[in-house]
Amino acid sequence: MITVGMDLGTQKVKVVILKDGAVLARAQAFSGFDPTKAAEQAVEEVLKDTKLKLSDVANFTATGSAMDMAPYAKSTVSMMGADAKAGVYLIPNARTIIDVGAEEARAVKCDEKGFMVDFVVNERCAAGAGTFIEAMARALEVKLEDMGPLALKAERASPINASCVIFGESDVVSLIHRQESKPEIARAVFDAMADRISSMVHRLGVNPDVVLVGGVAKDVGFVASLNRKLGLNVVIPEFPDFVGALGAALTAVNRAKETPK
Amino acid sequence: MKSEISEKRFMPEVSRKEIDELKNTVKAASQKIMADNIERMKKADPHRPEVMKYFDEMANLFGQRQKEIQTEKEKGKKVIGYMCLFAPTELIMAAGAIPVRVNSGFYDTSKVGDRVVPVEVCPVIRSTIGAKMIELSPFMEQSDALISVLTCDGMTKLGEILSDYKIVWGMNIPRIKDSTQSLRFWNDEIKHMKTQIEQFTGNKITRKNLKGAIEQTQRATKAFRRLQDLRKGSPVIMGRDAMLVNQTFLWDDKKRWTEKTEALCDELEKRVERKEWVCSPDTPRVMVTGTPMFWPDNWKLPTLVEEANPKGVIVADELCSGERILNDPVGVDEWSMDDMLNAIGERYLMASTCPCFTSKDGNEDRINWLLNKVKEWNVQGVIYYVVRGCMLYAMEYTRVKKALDKINVPVYYLDTEYTREDVGQLKTRVEAFLEMLTARVDI
Repeated sequence: MITVGMDLGTQKVKVVILKDGAVLARAQAFSGFDPTKAAEQAVEEVLKDTKLKLSDVANFTATGSAMDMAPYAKSTVSMMGADAKAGVYLIPNARTIIDVGAEEARAVKCDEKGFMVDFVVNERCAAGAGTFIEAMARALEVKLEDMGPLALKAERASPINASCVIFGESDVVSLIHRQESKPEIARAVFDAMADRISSMVHRLGVNPDVVLVGGVAKDVGFVASLNRKLGLNVVIPEFPDFVGALGAALTAVNRAKETPK
Repeated sequence: MKSEISEKRFMPEVSRKEIDELKNTVKAASQKIMADNIERMKKADPHRPEVMKYFDEMANLFGQRQKEIQTEKEKGKKVIGYMCLFAPTELIMAAGAIPVRVNSGFYDTSKVGDRVVPVEVCPVIRSTIGAKMIELSPFMEQSDALISVLTCDGMTKLGEILSDYKIVWGMNIPRIKDSTQSLRFWNDEIKHMKTQIEQFTGNKITRKNLKGAIEQTQRATKAFRRLQDLRKGSPVIMGRDAMLVNQTFLWDDKKRWTEKTEALCDELEKRVERKEWVCSPDTPRVMVTGTPMFWPDNWKLPTLVEEANPKGVIVADELCSGERILNDPVGVDEWSMDDMLNAIGERYLMASTCPCFTSKDGNEDRINWLLNKVKEWNVQGVIYYVVRGCMLYAMEYTRVKKALDKINVPVYYLDTEYTREDVGQLKTRVEAFLEMLTARVDI
């Protein structure tokens, strides 16, 4: 059975195509002003890669903040539900999934079957999410992808305020004025984020294995800070940014069985 | 009228022109919201009981009830407003005055209130201040005096701020509930309030009138409890409808409200017999607790829950804007004046599950309420609703969560503001929570 999961995030749309529960292909596109169109493009790409047609797909399931705008979708699943499902599929011992995306960070507690039993979402502010790194990279005049490696070179930590992107940015500017080195400031940015996220995870309870997914999981600087704060090593699956889409595609398998065409 | 209030100690001077402009804009927006809320409630239940039309009319804050109160006022009746449920409404009624609750549920006026207090303050308070500034809220405007019970910090200061405009009587509530000296102290407050109301209205509160007011409220409680009991089984009424019925009690005529609620229950009972459910019996059953949710704007969460995909149905609440209004009757043994006043004191203090009390000395009333509701109403999940700045409810969350964890009932902490802009984000969370509840049932 062929199923497709679409994750319509605030920054990117991710699509995963499965055959009998195994990944055949992945694709992504920038959400831009038209997430529907972006999703159509990504779906077209995975179909092209696998030489399949739209009619071969038994079920399309959507997730992500713009899931209501998904094309072809026969059903939807919450981002937290998708994280739990795919997290346990990829890492069977996963009981806590932390998902850090562009605009939102969340943590999901799940059982061995991949059902969520509890979840928390960061407060309405992007300071605990990827956008924060982007804004801080801009303030430091550093490329986004260089932030992580830069932070790893830091010799010590210098605290900044991550209660808000705007205040965080002014803190970074004052560190620059104080001639603090760039690696230290980069680390301060990740530490501040990790601080917020780890206290969020603590509200849920830290149950190993702790799995980190979402686009920000690819940032080595953030991962190092989060591991330090949590006092453990988070497990990061391959393609962490496609975990939401994978969860949707796995949900699609169940949904296709529930409602035969 | 009594002493004119001359100097404004808190409120800025706002020009008549600005007041009128703001009032017209916000009033128009609120009327739209009220109509929209009711439209959506109708849509949720295509066979909505006929008598709900009455409650819809009562829910029109600028409608029939406002006019009725105005007529009564012209005949010389006094209107006494209050902000917290601790205000002994039986005393107000017994003095021939009209009790109305005046907390504001208007989102837009919270921005007006920002001119007086910082945004960190609870939006219920900011909105009530803003509504007063622009003379928006009919029942607040009609109030000749206000009872301000010193419960949370916000309510304590709200009364003080509103005294720029109105006669405000403070009532000092003890924070330790289970002690004889607290009860004695509070009963004295009740007696003092009786004297104040009598002097203000010029009407003596007689034994007969007080008995009548207590009995009137007891009948309302009976009707209310009948409605709550009907929500124990498969859903026969949407939560929003029941919540609206409960809330209109705060300003409606008590006798008429009771009759209409009984009529609603008659109809619902027939539906139970016919097994005519308002939604599928396997719809996840949700209870809400936390910050009060005031009509009309702050209908956000109940609407989200009952319109979500997958959808839920609210079967119970622990809100001072909901079931707490009428859950407990005043219990009188001897109908002497002293006994009645003590019984009123006891009811308002001991039955309250307000988080302003400390639980240090074993006060588990709120937890017990929640656990009892979960059990008797078959609640599958609890949404713990808090607006920014609502410290007491926010700080009690972990305690409630621990108690609910023990009986394996999921609870979700949902924080929001007096704003419409976060509906998308809240929807994501509410739907994930309901999906979780559905999964617990289905698979």
